[in-house]
Amino acid sequence: MLSSEERVLSESREVQHGSLRTSLDRRYAVALIGSLLVLVSFFLPLFGQKIVRTVTYYSAEEVVSEYPGLIWGQHYREGRPPKKQEYVRTELEFGPTDVGSGSGCAWVSAAIEDEENRRQLIGNALSLIAVLCGAIVIGIIGLREWRTGRAPGLGAVKLMFYLAVLSVLAMAAVLLYQFDFDVSVLKARVGELDVAPGYWGMSLGSALLLIGVLLICQNRRHPVFSWWVLVYGAALAVWALSKFKPVPFAEIFQFLSDGIVVTLRITSVSFFCILVAGLIGGLGRISKNRVLNGIASLYVEIVRGIPLLVQLLFIWFALPQVNKSLGSYIVENIPAISGLGEWLVNLRLSPFSAAVIGLTVCYGAYMSEIFRAGIASISKGQMEAARSLGMSYFQAMRWVILPQAIRVILPPVGNEFVALLKDSSLVSVLAVSDLTRRGREYMARTFLSLETWAMVALIYLVMTLLASRAVAMFEERASFER
Amino acid sequence: MEQVKEDIIQIEHVSKSFGRVRALTDVSLSVGRAEVVVIIGPSGSGKSTLLRCINHLEGVDKGCIIVDGMPLTDAENINRVRTEVGMVFQLFNLFPHLTALENITLAQRIIRKRSREESERKGHELLERVGIPEKADVYPVQLSGGQQQRVAIARAMAMDPKIMLFDEPTSALDPEMIKEVLDVMLDLAAEGMTMVVVSHEMGFVRAAADRIFFMDEGSIVEETTPDELFTAPKEERTRQFLSKILH
Repeated sequence: MLSSEERVLSESREVQHGSLRTSLDRRYAVALIGSLLVLVSFFLPLFGQKIVRTVTYYSAEEVVSEYPGLIWGQHYREGRPPKKQEYVRTELEFGPTDVGSGSGCAWVSAAIEDEENRRQLIGNALSLIAVLCGAIVIGIIGLREWRTGRAPGLGAVKLMFYLAVLSVLAMAAVLLYQFDFDVSVLKARVGELDVAPGYWGMSLGSALLLIGVLLICQNRRHPVFSWWVLVYGAALAVWALSKFKPVPFAEIFQFLSDGIVVTLRITSVSFFCILVAGLIGGLGRISKNRVLNGIASLYVEIVRGIPLLVQLLFIWFALPQVNKSLGSYIVENIPAISGLGEWLVNLRLSPFSAAVIGLTVCYGAYMSEIFRAGIASISKGQMEAARSLGMSYFQAMRWVILPQAIRVILPPVGNEFVALLKDSSLVSVLAVSDLTRRGREYMARTFLSLETWAMVALIYLVMTLLASRAVAMFEERASFER
Repeated sequence: MEQVKEDIIQIEHVSKSFGRVRALTDVSLSVGRAEVVVIIGPSGSGKSTLLRCINHLEGVDKGCIIVDGMPLTDAENINRVRTEVGMVFQLFNLFPHLTALENITLAQRIIRKRSREESERKGHELLERVGIPEKADVYPVQLSGGQQQRVAIARAMAMDPKIMLFDEPTSALDPEMIKEVLDVMLDLAAEGMTMVVVSHEMGFVRAAADRIFFMDEGSIVEETTPDELFTAPKEERTRQFLSKILH
């Protein structure tokens, strides 16, 4: 027998559920209509015309291509890298497509069958397939949830969101593809291209998919947008650039890939050394021994006062001189340790080692402060309990204090790692062939400054975003165990 | 009762200051084996400081402390003394990243060098003795205050100490949980453990104390027995203090 209070509560819950149900239905309707629209339009012609001839004028030569859509790419295929300064204008000649072969379905099958030109066409076909898949998946999920009336799970909503965004981007890519991703040509010539109902249908359908999914997302308490979207977006940008505009982006990426490996190597090796340096420095900073404390504090203060770039340059240029004079002084005046003197005189640091040492010295100071703060944040009582059980200082550190301190210092240490990834670009001044230096080299060769640096920036972004995500996952796991 | 053997703790003319604050002024006392000594007094009287000097969590400026024949002068002695002296803190100070059982076995394994099975067996035994055998694999954050303090007592007992020090063990507990901790302490006293306790729990004092020291402003004001304390304390300050806490 329900009390009157319970009855009122259950009634209001029913009312809530009821109106929730109808509003969910309406939102699903939008997404489902979009899905249907995409499916139908896939079989309608996309463009009434196609580009039959492009004539590109350079100051020196004129190059003609019979293949629709390829301006830069075609030139590169004939063995000549494009030089943007020489480019004067492009003339496009449009011709009709026959209805059947102009549909999305026909484009995809043509791309798969045409062995010769598949590489150029496949990007386009993939975009259309992506839109189609998105519509199908969203349609299926939407129908299923609509019929059962349950709210969709977080995983399903996330999937729908990503697919909808991808579909909208893909439809934009298909249009741009017609103009070889050259926005200036698009602006000048878009009026001449006959855009058929199929394209409008698919685009509108994608837009409706996105709106519908966003409306569904609105209903949820958990945000669908996660930071992983940024990672996917940046990585997608790198891939899309290399695929859709292989000239120059694929070549840039090829050239930069060695640099990526070097950057990762420098960062990981340095990071390990920095952790060690930080631990030692941190312990020194909290030590009650005045000498150790003084040395550690001096180290931290000095290193934090000099810019990293200056420190790197010092280690590379100035330190060899210091070594030489110090070494020869020792050899001449202190015969007892002349071995050390000889070693100093003959010491030749490789660029990689100099870079690692420089990064370790600089970041080690910051890391010391982080360790110090983390260790100090553990209450005194923990150390007292450990010592009163009979543990030595180092035993107490190893078993009691540091395991707890690690959870505290993990977020700032993660931040330092991401900062280190970015600051590793400074070692390029030391003749280390990292990503930044490769970018500089490529730019010096081809003067494609925008393309090169955009690619370098995107690659750094993908790396740092991935690192941030990894750090966030680590933090989550560590705090959950508590 | 006459102490035939040598006293296990000898505190001789100990003084200690924190900067300009005199915490202890010429304090001398001794504790016999199997004796339960309780130190009472107002806050700031130096009783916690005195307790912490016994296992050298605080060093002394003047005087000396001898525990079980070992003077607390060099580091080796101090570490050895600490393994023989167990301490229970007001705020429990359990290691939060370890389970209750792991808290108890950690020191056994790294200091007494016992095997894992042996230390776990002892751990389970002690948890049973303090009344919470089922909480072995639970983290301190999931335990109530009384349970945490009992685990802390078990952790100190795991090292088989000769002396147990208690620094206001029930002051941070809810009233309902004080009894369970005091029961464990009474059991320990009954088994003949040498205990030095700083506490305000007069019930425990009445039941278990052999001798009571009343401290005020860094020195011992009166040394007495439970009977004497509750019927006719000698000093005026003792009487004033008792009238405040016995309400």
